[in-house]
Amino acid sequence: MAKSYVIVGGSLAGATAAITLREEDAEPSVTLIGAEREPPYERPPLSKAYLRGDVPFDKSLVRPAAFYLEHRIEAMFGIRATRIDVSSRFVQLEDGRRAPFDALLIATGSRNRRFSIPGSELEGIYSLRTVEDADRIRAEMIPGRRVVVVGMGFIGSEVAASLRQKNLDVVAIEPAKTPLFRVLGEAVGQRIADLHRAHGVRTIFEDTVAAFEGTQRVARVITKGGLRLECDFVVAGIGVEPVVDILDGTGVQMDNGVVVDQYCQTNVPGIYAAGDVANHYHPVFERQMRVEHWHNAVKQGAAAARNMLGKGVPYDEIHWFWSDQYDANLQYAGFHTKWEQLVVRGRLDSGSFLAFYINDGRIDAVVGLNRAKEVRRAIPLIKARRKLNLGPLQDESIDLRSLNPAD
Amino acid sequence: MAEFLTTIKTSELPAGGIVAVDVRGTQVALANVDGTYYAFDDACTHEQCSLAEMGELAGTTVTCTCHGSEFDVRTGKVLAPPATVPVKVYPTRVEGDALHIDV
Repeated sequence: MAKSYVIVGGSLAGATAAITLREEDAEPSVTLIGAEREPPYERPPLSKAYLRGDVPFDKSLVRPAAFYLEHRIEAMFGIRATRIDVSSRFVQLEDGRRAPFDALLIATGSRNRRFSIPGSELEGIYSLRTVEDADRIRAEMIPGRRVVVVGMGFIGSEVAASLRQKNLDVVAIEPAKTPLFRVLGEAVGQRIADLHRAHGVRTIFEDTVAAFEGTQRVARVITKGGLRLECDFVVAGIGVEPVVDILDGTGVQMDNGVVVDQYCQTNVPGIYAAGDVANHYHPVFERQMRVEHWHNAVKQGAAAARNMLGKGVPYDEIHWFWSDQYDANLQYAGFHTKWEQLVVRGRLDSGSFLAFYINDGRIDAVVGLNRAKEVRRAIPLIKARRKLNLGPLQDESIDLRSLNPAD
Repeated sequence: MAEFLTTIKTSELPAGGIVAVDVRGTQVALANVDGTYYAFDDACTHEQCSLAEMGELAGTTVTCTCHGSEFDVRTGKVLAPPATVPVKVYPTRVEGDALHIDV
């Protein structure tokens, strides 16, 4: 009898897994369950081209809506999975149906953190995750209106850029010293702050929101530092948390998301996880990590599918992501949490540079501003995990491809 | 009927290289894969980055380094997302040291 594969999460990771399962095996039944009404879509445009109204939503669909039926993927969109029965091997759906599985993929993604401060229930305070969220923000985007963007991580930074591109008046507030401080550090973060200021964003660092004020609708943001920021609406990008509710009581190990091995499998055989939700063991970096980016959703979704089919392929992709802000293309590859040394290629203040995050003589990660090709060329150097002579990294006359990672 | 247009001299395009030429108002990328020449629309179908400028060629795969889309330069087929739409490809022909493309 043909096997049954069930995917919980109509996300990019979930959809990619379903597509990969079908591409690699015509036989089994494949069921894709998504809580959102729309067929799976890509989220990067939601803070950029879609938010600005430059591209229609259809362009963001992972596959056209008809694809799933045509490829015999049983797609259930707008339906919530409520429970997993590990011993009887089925997923309970909110409408009473059950989806039995031989192997199950959890691709439930993450949800936005919410404020728990006075006034956070007021109207006009938005966060961004779904296309509906983007539509609500778009409806507020009238040139000249005043917006407070709370949080200058990737989402806050991209939204601030899109809002300025549509000629709104933007104040951005961030508790750290710079945008993207936690990931990229002060020296690089400062350049991102410069970029936003050059485009007319008023930036406020090392301060946080204490309260929102207004009658029914937000009218101003009060900061801990005592600022009163009058505004027409607020967009918050204050981080996300993995969505793991459905695993309660299943015995699946959880720690900062769903813990999986290098085959994307949990401690419960036959149950896998991929995408934002998966705290995965990375064989190159020899540690667990959870990554909330587009590229990981695509690559890990596909890797999980292959492992569900029994192919035994370790997931060892070097993580990579981009962030477009104004005309700048920021890219990152690798994985780091701290660094002993920051080696810069080019000048940080030039609008085009690479910065390598070095520990123990090895490149753990690289960030590039308007250096897309070189970020890609640095990936083999990261993957090699060798100690490198760092001098050539700074020498712009040396092609990164000529640095043999095996040397 | 095929209409071949002369573009560049093959000596101007080293192996592994990509250049863009203007063909009646459209930017067309020319790529040299170990002595075989391919022609395709220069604009990545994802967000219109120039493949001559931002593309990395490895064998017959061009990667748009802006956002990671990959295309087969022989067919234009998408090999990796985020692009979903193939790039248009054009037949090429070498006569002497002149590279012609059929538009």
